[in-house]
Amino acid sequence: MSSLTNHTIETPNERQNRHKAMEAIKVLNTLREGFKTPPNAMEYFYNLFEEVYCNQKALHCDKVKVGTMCIQIPSEIIYALDGVPIRLCNGFYADDEIGSDLLPQKACPLVKASVGHLASKNVIDKPDMIYSPTTCDQKTKAGSIIESFGYEVVDVAFPRTKESEISREYFRRSIREFSADLSSKMGKKLSRKNLKAAISKIGYAQSLYHKLSEFRKNRAVPILGNDMFLVTNAFFFDKIDNWIAACEKLVSELEQRVQNAVHVAGKVSPRIVYTGSPPIFPNYKVPLIIEDSDAIIVADETCSSNRMFNDRVAVDEWFVNDMIDSLADKYLKACTCPVFTKNDDRIRRIIELVRSHNADGVIYQAFAGCTVYELEQRSVLEAMEREGISILYIESDYSPSQQGQLSTRVEAFVESLKIKNRNKK
Amino acid sequence: MKRKIQNFINNINLLKVRFWIQLTTFILFVYGGYFAIDFGSKLPMFTCPYNTQSAGTCYLLPLQHQLAMPAQILLGGAGIGVLIGLLTFVFWFIFLNKAWCGYACPIGTFQDWLTGLRKTLGIRYSTYTQNQFEKLSKIKYILLAIVILVPLLIGVGAIGNDWSAAFCKICPARMISPMFSGDFSQWVIDFSTTTAIVLTALGMIFSALFLVGSFVKKRFFCFFCPMSALHFIFSKFAIVQLRKDGSKCTKCGDCYSVCDMQIKDIADDVTSTNILRDDCILCLKCVAACPEDDVLHFDILNFKAFSSTKEGFEKRMGMEKPKGAFDE
Ligand code: SF4
Ligand code: SF4
Ligand code: SF4
Ligand code: SF4
Repeated sequence: MSSLTNHTIETPNERQNRHKAMEAIKVLNTLREGFKTPPNAMEYFYNLFEEVYCNQKALHCDKVKVGTMCIQIPSEIIYALDGVPIRLCNGFYADDEIGSDLLPQKACPLVKASVGHLASKNVIDKPDMIYSPTTCDQKTKAGSIIESFGYEVVDVAFPRTKESEISREYFRRSIREFSADLSSKMGKKLSRKNLKAAISKIGYAQSLYHKLSEFRKNRAVPILGNDMFLVTNAFFFDKIDNWIAACEKLVSELEQRVQNAVHVAGKVSPRIVYTGSPPIFPNYKVPLIIEDSDAIIVADETCSSNRMFNDRVAVDEWFVNDMIDSLADKYLKACTCPVFTKNDDRIRRIIELVRSHNADGVIYQAFAGCTVYELEQRSVLEAMEREGISILYIESDYSPSQQGQLSTRVEAFVESLKIKNRNKK
Repeated sequence: MKRKIQNFINNINLLKVRFWIQLTTFILFVYGGYFAIDFGSKLPMFTCPYNTQSAGTCYLLPLQHQLAMPAQILLGGAGIGVLIGLLTFVFWFIFLNKAWCGYACPIGTFQDWLTGLRKTLGIRYSTYTQNQFEKLSKIKYILLAIVILVPLLIGVGAIGNDWSAAFCKICPARMISPMFSGDFSQWVIDFSTTTAIVLTALGMIFSALFLVGSFVKKRFFCFFCPMSALHFIFSKFAIVQLRKDGSKCTKCGDCYSVCDMQIKDIADDVTSTNILRDDCILCLKCVAACPEDDVLHFDILNFKAFSSTKEGFEKRMGMEKPKGAFDE
C-alpha cells in the first residue's frame, strides 16, 4: 500500500465486507424498526449481528474454532473438548456470488454462499478445522472444494436411511471416530465430567428454546418469527453463555408479554408454520415477506431453528461411550433433514406443529438448486392436502431481485387464509 | 390442585423411587416368611419357594405340578383346580401388569442390583444386536412350552416322574433365590437319574450364566423368562397399561436408548396406542426419558398416572439451569 496518497483503492475483501454489511444492516434495521414493538431483549441479538457482520468483530479469539457444515456434528462434544462450534452455513448474497464462480450455476445458494465465504479467506472467527457430515450431495462435495482452499476438512460419514439398525450402528461409529479425531487434535480427553456438563448445558439452552416456542402457541404471539430466526441463528456462532443469558432475558420478557396478551401481529393475521430450506442471516427474504404481508410465523421446521433445538439427548448410564452413542442417536434418529430416503417424520413434525400452534397454513420454501427440498415438495404437499392444511410452495434464491413476484404470491396466500378463517366463523 | 399433584408425579426422579419400591418389595417377598407373610402360591413373578423364607410362591411351580396329574384326573374334576389356579394368577397379574417384573420380582430386582454393581465399578453394559435380539427373545416361548408341555407328557405317561417340575430344575432362580437367605444347598447336581443329572447340570450352567450375564447385560435373564411370556398372554386385560401418542413422537430414540430390554418399538412405532411389548418389564424408564409432553404415559384404567413431560425430562436429565454458572 502506497503512503504517498491517502486515496486508497478498496480491496476485494473490503468490498465484500461492505456489501455484506449493507445486506446485514438492511435486515437488522427492518427488524428493529419495521415491525411493531420488538421485545427489548432482542436488542442483544440485533447488536450481536451488527457487531459481527457489519463491524467484523471476532468473538472467539482465544478458542479453537471447530467449523461444522451441517447440524449433525454434536456441539456437545466440541464444547466438552473446549472448542467452539461454528456453523458455516451462510446466507449472504455477496458470498453466494463468489461461490457462483466455483460451483455449478444451478447449485444451491446456501452451499454456494458457504463455499464462497470460505474461498474469500475473509472470515471472521476463521475455523481451525472443519467437520463435514455427508448429508446432501452438494454439501458433501463442498467439503473437498473447501479443502482445496487450504482448510483442514474432515468428512463425517452420515447415513441416508435412518430407519435401519445398520444406520444407527454406522453413525454411532462415525461419531465415535469424530470424537477421537477431535480429541486428539485438541489434545484433550472426553471425560464423564466434561461431556456430561456439555450435554447439560446444551440441554438447558434447548429448554430455553422450548420455552420460547411454547409462548408462540398462544393466541397473542409475543414475538415475530423473524426475531426467533435471529435468536436461533445466533446459536451458530455466539458465545454460548452469552446466548443463554440473552435468551433467559427474552424468556422472562415474553412471559410478561404473554400475561399482558401482547400480540406482535394483527388481530386477523394468519398463523404460519414455515418449513423448507433454512433462512440463514441475512437471507430472511421469505420470512420477512411473510410477516410483511400481515401473517405471523408461529413455528418452523427448518435446520436453522427448530431442528437444531427440538430433540433432546437422554442417557441411561452416564459413561462417556453411552453419552456418545446417545448423542449419535439423537443427531440421526430425530433428524428431519430431507436427505433421508423416506421422510414421514418430517411430515409428522409439520402436522404436529400446525396442530399444536394452531396454525392456519404452511409455507414451504425451497432454494432453487436445493434438490432435496425440491424433491420432497410433492410428498409434503400431498400430506398437507390429506390433512386439510393449506400450503404454499415457493422457490427462492439469495438474489435481491425477485422480491416483487414472491410478495404477490405470499400476499395472495395470506389473503386466502384470511378468507378461510372468516368463513369458518 | 389436581394439576399440581400431576406435575409433582411427572417430575419425580423415577430411578430413585423405583429403587426404594424394589428394595421394599424385595424384602417383603424374599424375607416375608420370617414374618409369616404369605401371598399364596400363584404369584406372577419369580418369588421362588426354594427359598423357604419367600412370602409367596412363583406360579410356575404349582402350574407344573397341576399339569403333571394323570390325564384322567386332569380332565375330570382336577381341571377346575387348574382353572382356579390360573384365575388366581390372572387376578394378581391384572393389578400390576408387567410392572410385577419392573417393580416386584426379586429376581428382576437382583439383576438390577448387579447392574448397579457394574455401574459402580465403571464398566459399560453390553447389548445385543437387533438380529441377536430377535432370535434370543423367542427363547422365552420355548421355555414356556417346556413349563406346560413337559408336565402334560408326564400326565399321559410318555415320560417318567424324574421330569417333574423340569423347568424349575433348570431355572436359575432355584439356585439364586435360596442364597438370599443364606442357603446354598441348591448348588448341587442330582445324580439320581440321567434326566436329573442333565437337568440339574443345565440348571447350574444357567445359574452361572445368569450371574455373569446380568452383570454385563441389563436384565439379562428377563429376556428368556417364561413368566414374562405367560404375562404377555394376559397383558391386554390388565388395569395398568403403557400407552403412546405417536402423533407427537419425534422418534428421537431417547426411550429406546434407556430401555433395559432394548425394545425398539417404543421409539419407532408411531401408530400403536398400546405400546407394551412382550419383553417389557414396565419399568417406566422410557416414560421418564421421553422429552415430549404426553407422548408416553402409564395409565391406570384410562387415567394418565405418569406421563412424559418436557419439564420432568429436564429435571431428570440434569438439564435445568446450572447453578451459578451463567451469571453475567
Ligand atoms: S421377566 Fe424377569 S422380572 Fe419378570 S418374572 Fe421373569 S425374572 Fe422376574
Ligand atoms: S425354580 Fe423358577 S420356575 Fe420354579 S418356582 Fe422357582 S422361580 Fe419359579
Ligand atoms: S422418547 Fe418420546 S419422542 Fe422420543 S422416540 Fe421415544 S416416545 Fe418418541
Ligand atoms: S419399554 Fe419402557 S417400560 Fe418397557 S422395559 Fe422398556 S423402558 Fe421399561
